[in-house]
Amino acid sequence: MDFRLSPSQQILTTTARAFLRQHCPPELVQRLALDARGFDEGLWRRMAELGWPGLLIPAELGGSDGSLLDVIVLVEEMGRAGLPGPFVASAVVATSLVLAGGSPAQQKRLLPALAAGERIASLALVEESGSFDPAAVALECAVPGRLSGRKLFVKDAHIADDLIVAVRVGAAPALIVVPTDRAGIARLPLDAISGEKLFEVTFDRVEIRPDDLLGAAGDGDALLAPALRAGALARTAEMVGGAQRVLELAVEHAKTRVQGGRPIGGYQAIQHSCADLVRDVDAARALLYVAAWKAAEGRAAEADAALAKAYAGEACLAVARRGHQIFGAISYCEEHPLHLLHKHIQAASLDFGDAQLHLETVARAIGLEGRA
Amino acid sequence: MNFDFTEAEQAFADEVRRFLRANPPETFAVDGMDAGYGSGANSRAFMKALAAQGWISMCWPKTLGGREQPMFMKLVLMEELALAGAPFGPLAGVWQTADAVIELGTERLRREVLPAIARGEATFWQGYSEPDAGSDLLALKTEARRDGDHYVIRGHKIWSSHAGIASHGLVFARTSREARRSRGFSMFVVANGTPGMDIRPIRSMTGEVYHHEVFLDDVRVSADLMLGPPGEGFQALLNGLDADRFWGRFYKAPALTRVLGQLVDYANTTLGGGAPLARDPFVRRRLAAIATDIAALRLIFYRAGCLIRDGAPLTYETAMAKVYADETGQKLARLGMDLLGLWGPLREGSRWAKLGGQISHLYQTTLGHTIAGGTAEVLRTTVAVRGLGLAAEPKVAVESKAR
Repeated sequence: MDFRLSPSQQILTTTARAFLRQHCPPELVQRLALDARGFDEGLWRRMAELGWPGLLIPAELGGSDGSLLDVIVLVEEMGRAGLPGPFVASAVVATSLVLAGGSPAQQKRLLPALAAGERIASLALVEESGSFDPAAVALECAVPGRLSGRKLFVKDAHIADDLIVAVRVGAAPALIVVPTDRAGIARLPLDAISGEKLFEVTFDRVEIRPDDLLGAAGDGDALLAPALRAGALARTAEMVGGAQRVLELAVEHAKTRVQGGRPIGGYQAIQHSCADLVRDVDAARALLYVAAWKAAEGRAAEADAALAKAYAGEACLAVARRGHQIFGAISYCEEHPLHLLHKHIQAASLDFGDAQLHLETVARAIGLEGRA
Repeated sequence: MNFDFTEAEQAFADEVRRFLRANPPETFAVDGMDAGYGSGANSRAFMKALAAQGWISMCWPKTLGGREQPMFMKLVLMEELALAGAPFGPLAGVWQTADAVIELGTERLRREVLPAIARGEATFWQGYSEPDAGSDLLALKTEARRDGDHYVIRGHKIWSSHAGIASHGLVFARTSREARRSRGFSMFVVANGTPGMDIRPIRSMTGEVYHHEVFLDDVRVSADLMLGPPGEGFQALLNGLDADRFWGRFYKAPALTRVLGQLVDYANTTLGGGAPLARDPFVRRRLAAIATDIAALRLIFYRAGCLIRDGAPLTYETAMAKVYADETGQKLARLGMDLLGLWGPLREGSRWAKLGGQISHLYQTTLGHTIAGGTAEVLRTTVAVRGLGLAAEPKVAVESKAR
């Protein structure tokens, strides 16, 4: 058993930390959160130059031939920096779907551009049910035909070049890839506290062609399962990285903030709170690494990923809330970095399935019979 | 990263499972209460059966009768024993004492104590706490006075687990007055039955005896039964407590996994309001949530185990892991009591007791776990001060009024 990063993963982590410290400081995170568009093209381009969006993509399609575990280690650093943007939606989830289900023509058209960061793609899955369970998809679409209806909580739809839309062709679950410049698509922003750019996407008699199908009609659920798992793990990595940063900031504050003649970290009330931060971060990270390692090794990882996501959602949010308490009033300010880390964790805890969805998977895995 | 066992570790796990199938744990006579930590009851017969497999001494040097197996084999063994609910109560303490004797022991201790440990005959109680020295261990008053080639120990120890059925005590005593409060302590290995030693049971809230108090009335101990250099016992003790937190709690995750499995079976087969409890969304959610805690707990311990194996420095890891283990145990016991409802408080052997009455036992015993071996408060302070580098709270001397 070995919990350590490989030498190449250590280089990835170190590089990412240094890069993000320089190019994604808290002030930028603040500015992007408050800005309606909230996308820094220059930063995205530089990330692409480092090969990050192509990490999951094979070298012959322009990628950098990494593994899901590499992605997870990298996204942990992104979470630590509070990096906003479409990396998980595009480079992890949409890329996984095209890799798994795309025809050679679709792969050739999309993957090199995704790897180079020249195209951005996002998954349109959730509907008014609010569920990430593929079984909840109701939007119907004939292929070829016209698509009418709406999707909710579509991340970064405003900057996406393509949407991968989960639909039903008759009763069969299916995925279609639709360029966002096709007539009849409207992207209406939702205003979330995290500053993440979420959209309602409406489709009004949008033309759907036979070669828009990703895989065959009926493949939807089978394609979605591993991609949603990758998304859940990446969002878990963001939570762990964000919680790690909260821990570091809170401990630093506890060492330097003096009240009653000594640093507040010299009081046991604060010490014990800090000790719990360490436990939550360490435990969440350990579950994340095991699940990501299993998934990267191609083993059954459904229960492990569900466990990791459900645990991190609780633990990392607890870290964020405790962080506010340790910091006191200053962390209530908009200019302070804590609240955005907190809100990123909050958003990530809901994306690709909240604790309720994942705990149901865990419940089945530990042998509880019947479904509630 | 790699989260698989090695082939050798996996083969050993299979071997232990075969042993447990051939020697069902419930067939071994029990001598002392199951303290709920996960190591099951105290059974001399089971310790001897482990010894007969060569497993107690498997990691020792060949020159001392061992087989020089890697330390991880001990984790594999403990995990399998705990999953099976085997009564290996004294094993962790025995291993720690053996390691200390191998590292620091005199020729006599190596010659006399190690073979008895390897045979499964020697088990140990810890004579650390005293009535006025709990979390503040350095307040202890027991003294060992040099008298020729002997020491004469006088004092009063308390909360010594299984002292009444163990073979030796590890008695921590002051051997000299030094300027530094933490210096001048030494550890002695004292055989039960040594004249002047009076071991009295303390009946616990479970109705059974687990702890003892031990009165040491001029107990004469040969100087070569001192474990470690004279006056340097405190550092050795701290290292021992660090190990204690790890080895004494490593098996909690598999033990809780076993209990969780029983609660899952119970929920699947027990009707509540006309439907199986397992169909109640709240029950499902709580059981699943604690399964995530137990899974995390297991990894936290394996991660610490890897650091120990690799010789990496430990600061906060075992203190944090112990608190997490003990609080997770309390959480599971509480959940078990909730699930069993009116049947929860029934004791083992009672009419209508469910799950062998063990949940009420677990509920009571786990209360002690955040106190024994370092309270949760002391250990959180350790995590913060040693692990995170926060400044220790200034000590304020106050005359103790407790009597």
